[in-house]
Amino acid sequence: MGIGDIWNLIAIQPMINTLIVLTSYLFNNFGVAIIVLTLAVNGVMYPLTMKQVRASKAMQDLQPKIAELQKKYAKDKAKLAKEQMQLFKESGVSPAGCLLPLLIQMPIWIALFQSIMRVLAVIPENLVGLSDYLYSWPIVFSTLPLENNFLWLNLATGDIFLALLVGGTMWVQQKMVMSPTADPKQQTQSSMMLWMMPIMFAWLTMTFPSGLAIFWVTSNIFRIGMQYFIGGWGGLVKSEPKKPTGRDKKYKERIAQVEEFPSLGADIVVPGSTQEEGSSYEESGDKRPDRGGGYTKSIRSTKRQPRRGRGHRRKRG
Amino acid sequence: MRIRNNNVSAGKIGLLVVLLLVGLTVLGCIGVKSTPEGGSGGTVADGTIFLAPTIKQSGGFGCTPPAVDGKLVALSAADGTRFWEVPLEGSRSGGGFGCAQTAAPAAIYGSPAVAGELVYAGGYNGKIYAINTSSGAVRWVYPREGTLEPIIGGVVVAMDRVYFGCSDGKVYALDAATGDKQWEFAIGDKTWATPAVSGDMLYIGCFDKKFYALSAIDGSKQWDFETEGAIASTPLVYNDMVYIGSFDRYFYALDAASGSLKWKFPAERWFWTKAVADNGTIYAGCFDGKVYALGAENGQELAAVDLGSAVYSWPVLVDGRVIVATEKGEIYAIDTAANQETLLADIEEAIYAPLCAEGGVIYVYSQEQNLYALNADSGARLWNLTIK
Repeated sequence: MGIGDIWNLIAIQPMINTLIVLTSYLFNNFGVAIIVLTLAVNGVMYPLTMKQVRASKAMQDLQPKIAELQKKYAKDKAKLAKEQMQLFKESGVSPAGCLLPLLIQMPIWIALFQSIMRVLAVIPENLVGLSDYLYSWPIVFSTLPLENNFLWLNLATGDIFLALLVGGTMWVQQKMVMSPTADPKQQTQSSMMLWMMPIMFAWLTMTFPSGLAIFWVTSNIFRIGMQYFIGGWGGLVKSEPKKPTGRDKKYKERIAQVEEFPSLGADIVVPGSTQEEGSSYEESGDKRPDRGGGYTKSIRSTKRQPRRGRGHRRKRG
Repeated sequence: MRIRNNNVSAGKIGLLVVLLLVGLTVLGCIGVKSTPEGGSGGTVADGTIFLAPTIKQSGGFGCTPPAVDGKLVALSAADGTRFWEVPLEGSRSGGGFGCAQTAAPAAIYGSPAVAGELVYAGGYNGKIYAINTSSGAVRWVYPREGTLEPIIGGVVVAMDRVYFGCSDGKVYALDAATGDKQWEFAIGDKTWATPAVSGDMLYIGCFDKKFYALSAIDGSKQWDFETEGAIASTPLVYNDMVYIGSFDRYFYALDAASGSLKWKFPAERWFWTKAVADNGTIYAGCFDGKVYALGAENGQELAAVDLGSAVYSWPVLVDGRVIVATEKGEIYAIDTAANQETLLADIEEAIYAPLCAEGGVIYVYSQEQNLYALNADSGARLWNLTIK
């Protein structure tokens, strides 16, 4: 049994048969079945997606600090790497935390994607091929072939309105996760990302069957809802790039100290990390950019480390 | 530059995600065809094979290259010499970037039908063509303007009419000489099946799970029979009975006059191909890789010949032997006296197209667009040609 067979057995076959059975129970409406299955898969992967979104957000929030470090240690690569690692450690942020959940989810998305393509079976070759993936359930055999019409759509052909919807929802989702930044380089990157992906997917939607577009739109709307739950409207609401806060000033002072006394390197206190998160917004007068609950447990639970040297303790009296 | 190497920025992660998504989206297409490639077999008449291959266009970025045109070819049955070929134009594609085809290609699935001096073929592009067998000149095209929905099944010529079913959910009868529409009848859903005409009755299966008997004269419905699955197979009319397989995995025997069920036989998977009959036995190929030999009167299973691969192609009957091809490309002869199979040839190419035979020679057209002429007794290859 090759990898392809295993993939079909554990991923494609269950997904295809689920889609067909769902269609049967949902009034033989394949469009509704795609929406329901997409929501179900999104629901199952909710914890992973949430982890990824939070990790990305935390990583974005660290960008000013990382930029600061890069500026300071431009000529000392080893030191920069060490400081970055320390920053990640103290913030409880793992760079892999953004990608790992995404990579785990990818096979599931591909399976769903391939299943929709196969179940659509608009040409005889596909319908013949589909028969290889069917379980021997009578309901499966009696439901096929599926009806391709949904609302005004022929699910087997592309549709311009859906293409716009895919692009639009993707743009909104991207915009929501985007943090305002004063760094022009980062602004350019963000802007490129914001437009490139929606345009690309809108273009793909024009040429792919609408069934896939329904899957994309449903996923996007689900994620928009999730983003709203995590961080409100985020970047959709106009806000000024973060100005250096009191904490940031202290952070710069700490970097200066580290430069002066390298042994202090591991003790940089990260403004905005949970060690001092509770007070930072109040002290700086900035509004907290989200609706709360925005950081991972690991960030929130980062223990306050004992500090050496001149600290922030107030002298009594 | 060193600074950049260490930059684990959100932008870079995002870019990686985009690349991943696009790459995997394209990967997700792999293995899923969306361009119809056709599956027409040959039809032999008076020493000429008529074949309708698909012209596969190159240059598509998507899952498969877009196929936009077909053609009808006339060849010598003796050695494959090409007499003529005529293009069956399809609607031009918009470019074929993705998995979906933006216009209907002229892929041909049903084998051409020959009657008198004309050969007829229906295409995925929703057109029926009538072409002179000698010259290749197009006599008429239906419809003259515009197109119907895709025509997947083949055409049948009887009573000076051309009959076919269409994906628009209608059965049509055209004047064979002029292409003028005689009648049309709306069935419950689209049909991919080739009809069968016997006497003044026309039989055709439909995706609405029903099997219809219509008057071949005026198209009026005589009866219908409902199964539990869609019907894409072509019926066999034999001894006042009509035999049909369904997606519900049953093979049905119905009274040809009334549509009443005589018997039904369960298999493991779909029936798609047309059955053949010989000496009171029905031979029905199935997607489960078996050819079932069933008593025509009572449906008793006489044998289940396991060929190991799905049977999609129509079999032919040659000198008391059922010649049947599997999807994997093996061609077997089943001796109807003993119901024993013999491997005649293995062309190692997928076979979907109906087989045809004349003068002790079997003609097999593969999905790789190769036409093979095989000796029906020994399976020896007489000649083969790539017909594109």
